Amino acid sequence: MKPGAVENEVRDLLRSRAPLARDRDELPDDLRLGPGGLGLDSISLVELLLECERRLGLRDVAGLLEGPPLTVGLLISHLRTPTAR
Amino acid sequence: MSWPRRIFDALEGGLAPLAGRWPRLAFTSAAAAGRLRNRLSRRWPSPEQVQALFPGLEPGAAARVAWRIGGLEARNRLLIDRIRRQGLDPVRPLIQTPEDFRALRPPLVLGFFHVGAVQALSPAVERLPGPVLILRQGLLSTPRPPVRVESTEGDGQRRAAVFRRALAHLAEGGFVVVALDVVPGPGFRVPFLERSIELARGPFALARIAGAPVQPLAARWRGGGVEILTGPALAVEAAPEPKVQEAALAGEAARWLERYLLESPAEMGLGLLRSLLGFAPDGGS
Repeated sequence: MKPGAVENEVRDLLRSRAPLARDRDELPDDLRLGPGGLGLDSISLVELLLECERRLGLRDVAGLLEGPPLTVGLLISHLRTPTAR
Repeated sequence: MSWPRRIFDALEGGLAPLAGRWPRLAFTSAAAAGRLRNRLSRRWPSPEQVQALFPGLEPGAAARVAWRIGGLEARNRLLIDRIRRQGLDPVRPLIQTPEDFRALRPPLVLGFFHVGAVQALSPAVERLPGPVLILRQGLLSTPRPPVRVESTEGDGQRRAAVFRRALAHLAEGGFVVVALDVVPGPGFRVPFLERSIELARGPFALARIAGAPVQPLAARWRGGGVEILTGPALAVEAAPEPKVQEAALAGEAARWLERYLLESPAEMGLGLLRSLLGFAPDGGS
């Protein structure tokens, strides 16, 4: 995958799934995906991560839900790590 | 506190030790005391409240339904007291599960409402033929393994993590048991008894994403015991929008509950009755 492709894919996905993301020029790394950030509810969060798995051909991206509060940066950096592949 | 209320509270308190030795007798007696309590107080529910929800009932029939709801509530109070004191062991022998319940096959989402003897569902689902995951906000007592319980309390990400584990459980060929009328996250407001009821989106989204059917589940008192029953798998036409499909399933679930309660109005618990009539929880005695 080309450099920056994961970032672009994630940001496109967020814009398509989070109405609050559409109005923003930038989606900074520290922006939360849930309440207080992009406002995705529990079901939308799961669907977003499952979609990441499908589009990028990765496994257990949804496992990120068990960790700290998800941010744009956290998601992108996880998708970039070789262990996710 | 009024003296009749003190007398009935004392009577129910006296049934608690009896329930340890002769549970069926204690639960039958609690039902009789609860009916009498309602008949004398004409409160929670009053016949008029019952008639407001079931306008097809004549005043006399509405009064009888109100008495029986009084009996249901008294039995449930005693059941909760038993479970708190002794866990599920004394409750298990009271549960009757029909053949069609034991013949259910996973993956399956079993959705229940807060009607009837809802606290008796935990020991009942131990008899399902497969691993069971119960999603609950609170739980009086933990059922036996292989039944697992996950709390749906917490923030959005914590609920999302539970949702993901429930998806994995269904994918591995399990049952998920979940309340349809408790809405910790997103929900749908759907028509119900000429009013509306809010149902959780989670169970329907779970079924859609996992490709598993949703089937209603209920428990009802039969004398001193509890009978478990299931409704048919909810079926709706496929919709292009996932949320539309889920809302249609929620509407179908509400229609099942409506049919069930029109047939057996005395299965309606006070919590649902209060919420339908617009009262705050704990608004009565």
